[in-house]
Amino acid sequence: MNINQELNFEVTHLINKETTLLDRRLWDEWIDLFTEDAVYWVPSWADEEETVNDPETQLNLMYFRDRGGLEDRVFRIESRDSYASLPLDRTVHIVSNILISKVEDDFIIASANCLVHSFGKHGSQNRASLYDFKLRKLDGDLKIFQKKITLVDDQLEGPVDIYHL
Amino acid sequence: MEGSYQNRGYEDLVDDRVSEGVFRVDRSVYTDQKIFEAEIEYIFEKGWVYLCHESQIPEEGSYFAADIGRHPVVVIRQKDNDVTAYLNVCSHRGALLTPKKQGKTRTLTCRFHGWAYGCDGRCIRIKNEKEGFGEDGFDRSQYDLKPVAKVANYRGFIFGSLVDQVEPIESYLGAASTWIDLMVEQSPEGLEVVPGSSTYVIRGNWKMQLENSVDGYHVSTVHRVFASTVRNREERDSLKGLKKTEGGRLVSMVPSGAYDLGNGHMSIWAQHTTPERRPIYKKKEWLQANLPPSHVEWILSKGRNLAIFPNVMLMDNPSTQIRYVKPISANRAEVTVYCIAPVGEDNEARSARLRKFEDFYLTAGMATSDDMAALEDTMAGSMASQTKWSDFNRGLKTMTVGPDEGAKAVGFKPESSSESWENETLFYGFYRRWRNMMTCSGD
Repeated sequence: MNINQELNFEVTHLINKETTLLDRRLWDEWIDLFTEDAVYWVPSWADEEETVNDPETQLNLMYFRDRGGLEDRVFRIESRDSYASLPLDRTVHIVSNILISKVEDDFIIASANCLVHSFGKHGSQNRASLYDFKLRKLDGDLKIFQKKITLVDDQLEGPVDIYHL
Repeated sequence: MEGSYQNRGYEDLVDDRVSEGVFRVDRSVYTDQKIFEAEIEYIFEKGWVYLCHESQIPEEGSYFAADIGRHPVVVIRQKDNDVTAYLNVCSHRGALLTPKKQGKTRTLTCRFHGWAYGCDGRCIRIKNEKEGFGEDGFDRSQYDLKPVAKVANYRGFIFGSLVDQVEPIESYLGAASTWIDLMVEQSPEGLEVVPGSSTYVIRGNWKMQLENSVDGYHVSTVHRVFASTVRNREERDSLKGLKKTEGGRLVSMVPSGAYDLGNGHMSIWAQHTTPERRPIYKKKEWLQANLPPSHVEWILSKGRNLAIFPNVMLMDNPSTQIRYVKPISANRAEVTVYCIAPVGEDNEARSARLRKFEDFYLTAGMATSDDMAALEDTMAGSMASQTKWSDFNRGLKTMTVGPDEGAKAVGFKPESSSESWENETLFYGFYRRWRNMMTCSGD
């Protein structure tokens, strides 16, 4: 694969679709965008300027080594038994700065910025993240193989779940 | 307790009539800003508070910025490996001296006008001193940093007090020290804070965070969904070994207990139904060879939560945690969580410990987030002054004064023991300490 207009469209479409499905609460379709062995990583901050850099041996906000971690979250949301998830916060993701930086065989490295507006018990909140993707072409379909979310905010108010990120 | 009784109007907020079957607390202790300000003055600024763990200041010049009430302080490692603390405030005009929460430095240099202090607190440089203060007889030592009156290190956990008149840390911790020992003795090299942390702000009173951490009664309601989520995960993914998570305590009636440890400290435990899923279980043989059998039993089989008055909680469950609470106002507190782990733990156990931490203990996790939501609802409801009492009567009639058999076996002496972690008798010690400090702290 080369970085061309067609690939750029495909990548942009996937990233936009992912956050759209979260805002529309189409959880199963959202999970389907990830490969079964997809890694989902939200590092914690090691200090004011740097996040942790080794998810295995350092503390993260979330670190799922396969898609099961996402399925856990959806299970919990849909159970309607989670105090923090009933009522569910409303969210709007605004994604921008989508850039493909590298293409290697069937893998594509891309990044984006995301601003998430949420409304719920804590009123209106805005949180911002840097997205780093490794995407994979699998049987003609483009899927998310790795997603790293660097949440710039700390001193978090209220719950932070997959739909807030 | 030092100081004599002063009636500041706080005595009646704790309705302590255990002999009549009543223990309850006026909810204005959570909501009233005047009471909050008195707590800062009479509790946080007149007694021991937790500052940091020694692994966070590993070398000479390593510092950690903390708070004692309204006073920013800096804890700093000295040349001789000793730990001291100063008010983190420039003697000149009051700017904070540390650029970051945690770091390493040769001097504490104020970034405003450039005054510098040694790690020993001495004022060693004043920018353009001669031009401003003259050459003769100027005594720079008048500007030395103000030390925190008392600093103590109990097995790696560092505490400070702004006043001299506090009891030695060992007697202050009292029965709670055994609970700290049960964590520390899990490794010959002690414990370390793992890199990374998370801070969240709760719309609730700081005491609610302390209460929540040793409230076993909410577990089978608030964390029912955590248990069902991990059960679903294990069935779905056919998980094995340390990748499985202990869920038995959350849903079933297992042996458990609660202790009023004295001096406001509190603890609960519950039996693990599957202790082999805990990271420490890999060290079973080492523990058995090096510790008394009662300690090994407590370490491996009992999930333990400890709340040390007034501002830190230590958890040793499927994962291990330091939870630090910083009071902001009556209805706001800032909570920071750290994973603390045995030094020298192998990567498989460390990774399992961290994954279990991330599952449960964070506001981005699947249990602490639910705790916070319940806590914030409790804060909102506490504003209703027409229903003013928070009820702590559960277990009052069945509690044991002094130690039960479990406490005797491992050798600590609580004020009272309760045979279920759902009982609320442990809070009596907390609120008695609170009342005593609010009424007896001398001026």
